[in-house]
Amino acid sequence: MAFMPLGIPLLRRVMQSGSKQAKYSILLQKSMTYKSAISLDTLYPNSSLKLATPAFTPNPDEKFTGHIPLNKVDIHYSASSGPGGQNVNKVHTKVDLRFKLDEADWIPTDIKQKMLEIHGKKLTKEGYLIIRSDTTRSQQLNLADCLRKLRVMIRNATFTESKPDPETEERIRQRHLKSARLRVSMKREEAYKRALKRPPTVVDL
Amino acid sequence: MGSRQITEKALTMLRSLPRVSLGNIRDNPGYKKNPKRGRGQHGGDKHGAGNKGSGQRQNYMRLGYETGNNPFYLRMPHEHYYKGHHLRRQYPPFSLHELQLIIDKDRLDISKPIDIASIVKSGMYNFTPDEKHFGINLTDVGADCFAAKINIEVQWASEQVIAAIEKMGGVITTAYYDPHSLYLLRDPKKFFESGQSIPRRMIPPPDAIEYYTSAKSRGYLADPEEISKDRLRLAQKYGYELHVLEDDPNYEMLCERKDPRQIFYGLEPGWVINLKDQCILKPKDSELQRFFAS
Repeated sequence: MAFMPLGIPLLRRVMQSGSKQAKYSILLQKSMTYKSAISLDTLYPNSSLKLATPAFTPNPDEKFTGHIPLNKVDIHYSASSGPGGQNVNKVHTKVDLRFKLDEADWIPTDIKQKMLEIHGKKLTKEGYLIIRSDTTRSQQLNLADCLRKLRVMIRNATFTESKPDPETEERIRQRHLKSARLRVSMKREEAYKRALKRPPTVVDL
Repeated sequence: MGSRQITEKALTMLRSLPRVSLGNIRDNPGYKKNPKRGRGQHGGDKHGAGNKGSGQRQNYMRLGYETGNNPFYLRMPHEHYYKGHHLRRQYPPFSLHELQLIIDKDRLDISKPIDIASIVKSGMYNFTPDEKHFGINLTDVGADCFAAKINIEVQWASEQVIAAIEKMGGVITTAYYDPHSLYLLRDPKKFFESGQSIPRRMIPPPDAIEYYTSAKSRGYLADPEEISKDRLRLAQKYGYELHVLEDDPNYEMLCERKDPRQIFYGLEPGWVINLKDQCILKPKDSELQRFFAS
């Protein structure tokens, strides 16, 4: 086509590399709005081209995917500490995120147990786990930081300590024995050298 | 006027005008120059070369030479940090705080989609496409206090800004405009008065295509389904409940977007806007229509 600009094949290649699954196209009525050769329905023929609000679908393989239901955690804002004059006094940038750990049904039970073991001593009298953040000057970023910390805590609780296998254990045991043997043999050598330097012991035959 | 009408007019003129002869034609102005003779009182003697010096002796110094001192073009050394500065795109910043200000003062109509033309019209922002300004960079200053539900189209926005707007239930899109389109958007009325047809908007250059086709930066060439997924990711990252757009009464307005080739909302490339007679002239020729829709 004489009027087709050069950059469009590049654009199309980028598009095709992105979309992998074949989706059923929704038959759209022929609209009177302007449609060029690089409009979204030519770039993404299999897409619905509508902005939607997808609901969270948990992955059955993973125990905790990082999704935190925000209506089940308490978030409070307060003034941060540190220097900053009037701004730090007035602007509530510190974020306090808390929830009752034993009542959190959105965390799988075994992860919750592990968390109680690790963070049990840190809970308040009522059983709340508190996460605070005032690292940045923005409330938005501090809230993101709190959520990140919570996710890290939960992730760390998902890991179980791996027991070393019998071969590795045997190897470690042999290493200990060998070091003991070497230590003792070194001692004996030193003792012999020192004995040579001393005057000879007279043996009365 | 079509080509047939032009030939008709030419033939009518030929029939009425007198016969062309050597007596009624002349050269185009500036065509004939009197030759400069190197002989006689005016052209002779020193032949336009003056007296002595490099002028008469045709032994000139090189261009930029300043008779020994360090010449201007050598005084400033080359610094690698500014390599390619003339090719870099600039996005003058416009903060969320300023945006909130103009919304609160009713200088911006949020019942319609907002783009760079409306923001420039409000008077709080200006840019010069001459100086490699490629549009608005919406900054995160005032992101904590932003409280307006809008459909906005800017040229650059960080993740935090996108989160601040979507938290309020709004929609943000990043779109590329080539410098010519930006000129038109800066002052649409002046452009319409010039009587030119609206051109097509060009696609982004190769180093910008990745940004404008990714859902993460809400590019105008990205798949809206991917954008919907990224909205959830952002809501989880920044800790807010995702506003259900489909149930919003303003869903149509919030999702309204320009076509990648469109410059103005509601106006197609190829149209000529007649403000005086309050009408729009659209091309009827099929080749023109094909061109403007390509």
